Amino acid sequence: MKEGFRQAMAWLHTWTGLIFGWLLFAIFLTGTLSYFKEEISHWTQPEVQSHPLDPVSSLGLAQRYLESNAGHASTWFIRLPSEREAALSVSWRDPNGGGRRGFTDKELDARSGEAVEARDSRGGEFFYRFHFQLQMPHPWGRWLSTFCAFIMLLGLVTGIITHKKIFKEFFTFRPGKGQRSWLDGHNAIGVLVLPFHLMISYSSLVIFMYMVMPASILASYGDSSGYFNDVFGRDEVPKTAAQAAPLAPLTELYAKVQEQAPGARMGYIQVHNPGDRNARVTFTRASADSVAYQRSAIWTFDGVSGELLRRGAPESAAMTTSFTFVGLHMGNFAGPWLRWLYFVFGVAGTAVIGTGLVMWLGKRQLKHAKSERMPGELRLVEVLNIASMSGLLLGVAAFFWANRLLPPAMDGRADWEINAFFLAWGASLLHAMLRSGRRAWGEQLTLGALAFAVLPVLNALTTDKGLDHSIAAGDWAMAGFDLTALATGLFLAWAAGKMLRAPKPVAKRAPRAAKTVEAS
Amino acid sequence: MLGVALMGFAGFASLCLAMEKHFNDLLGRKPTSRQLRALKVGGWALLLLSLILAVHGRGWGLGLVEWIAVLMAGVTLWVFGLPYQPRLLLGAALASLVLGPLLAVLAV
Repeated sequence: MKEGFRQAMAWLHTWTGLIFGWLLFAIFLTGTLSYFKEEISHWTQPEVQSHPLDPVSSLGLAQRYLESNAGHASTWFIRLPSEREAALSVSWRDPNGGGRRGFTDKELDARSGEAVEARDSRGGEFFYRFHFQLQMPHPWGRWLSTFCAFIMLLGLVTGIITHKKIFKEFFTFRPGKGQRSWLDGHNAIGVLVLPFHLMISYSSLVIFMYMVMPASILASYGDSSGYFNDVFGRDEVPKTAAQAAPLAPLTELYAKVQEQAPGARMGYIQVHNPGDRNARVTFTRASADSVAYQRSAIWTFDGVSGELLRRGAPESAAMTTSFTFVGLHMGNFAGPWLRWLYFVFGVAGTAVIGTGLVMWLGKRQLKHAKSERMPGELRLVEVLNIASMSGLLLGVAAFFWANRLLPPAMDGRADWEINAFFLAWGASLLHAMLRSGRRAWGEQLTLGALAFAVLPVLNALTTDKGLDHSIAAGDWAMAGFDLTALATGLFLAWAAGKMLRAPKPVAKRAPRAAKTVEAS
Repeated sequence: MLGVALMGFAGFASLCLAMEKHFNDLLGRKPTSRQLRALKVGGWALLLLSLILAVHGRGWGLGLVEWIAVLMAGVTLWVFGLPYQPRLLLGAALASLVLGPLLAVLAV
């Protein structure tokens, strides 16, 4: 009975892992990149200079810019520069204006307050969006990625049940032993980083809970927008009074917020009906300031008199719990070293999925070691493995190469960066279909190694933000990106070397692998 | 948090050595059952102490999150480094055992 149950769980683990593994790999990899979303965006828009932070002066500059350029807008949004984001971002909504739903975005230099003519790029936002929307029309991508999160959670639970010696082999990793080593690695990364894996997959379900279990929301609110206003503590905004009145200096309101919450960093500042009698100014505290999202950390002012009208409602205990999971997932609160650990654990999660996919194939290939040709279904898995792993890495590299090589003034530039990502990914699929498994792996990894390792050189040649300058200027987001690309290149070169150098593995490794299985 | 991380690392190293197979492999001799028990108790004590220090220093929310993060990082480094650099890691564990509490005390 017990063995039967374990076998059933192993079956579930194996097959859901295979079917969703390719997609999960992409979700995990792009999600891992998203921990450095702002840093990636900083690299993709090298025109934006970083300056020492001075929120008061930045806020004053933003107000001056918006008053002279967006006086008739219905709403302004201001994002102050932060430790991770160099630009002072302003955007506004002008019902009569063009653009996307009347929205205009500008990035200002944090010191001069002048608009920066930066190249058009989605930067880190692209990977972040892809991570849960999968470049699909709304809401299908979100549904699919939420379902993948569920599969990941299922994979973890069934994996734990299947893994017989979780404590006995807690510290075990035996390299250089073929299939045995892959299994050891898969188990060890899975178990040692289990708290992270569980948190990530469970919290994904919490984030999209409103989609997964909408019944109670629909029953009490009728639609989800009223629910979100309640959850996030947003206010109804009064209509314009059609009576002009000057907006209070935002820096004074900022000082009032600082009185109530000393040292609070601001996420964004929203101004409704600027220049009208009914102006409202809302300050929202940066999510970097606490683990859990806090709806209480919102301050709404009358934009003319500067009187504090309302603070966000306090959270209930249940809310704090789910906001904590959301906060843990996003990791906005993490400072530099914890952010790096997030990144490393994200890579670990990606590796668990990747090793699982490799093992699925390796185990079945052993059975066909003697025959000339691999059965079609195994060949299919092999091609998809290669394209989904090394191919995705090539796509990521292509995105960054396109960012540096496409002319800055090109029409639809940001879209072409994304096209480069998908074109490279597609090309890797074609390549994997045309070449034998090991060669395809080796060649794609070699190309990936080159593409990533040369990125810092490309950066130095095409901008004035090369490693020599960025390190000297203390611009660690820029330098960190270049160094990480270099490290990725070296790692891929090592992997490529293994793939290209090793002799035909199956014939030699089969008996050895069989022996170790017996011995254990 | 570095002190906490080092103590957690030493704690896991100790728990690893508390398993007879790993003790044999790493130190090249047979452990006595008293040694194994001492290593086990010592390892758990280090983990518990590092938790207390993390929560004391950073509060429940951040302390717990950071404690788990540095523990996971430490034990992953240990397990995947062990086949390649066992002596280096044993040395690092020993150094952490000394440095960890020292740094933690200085931070408090």
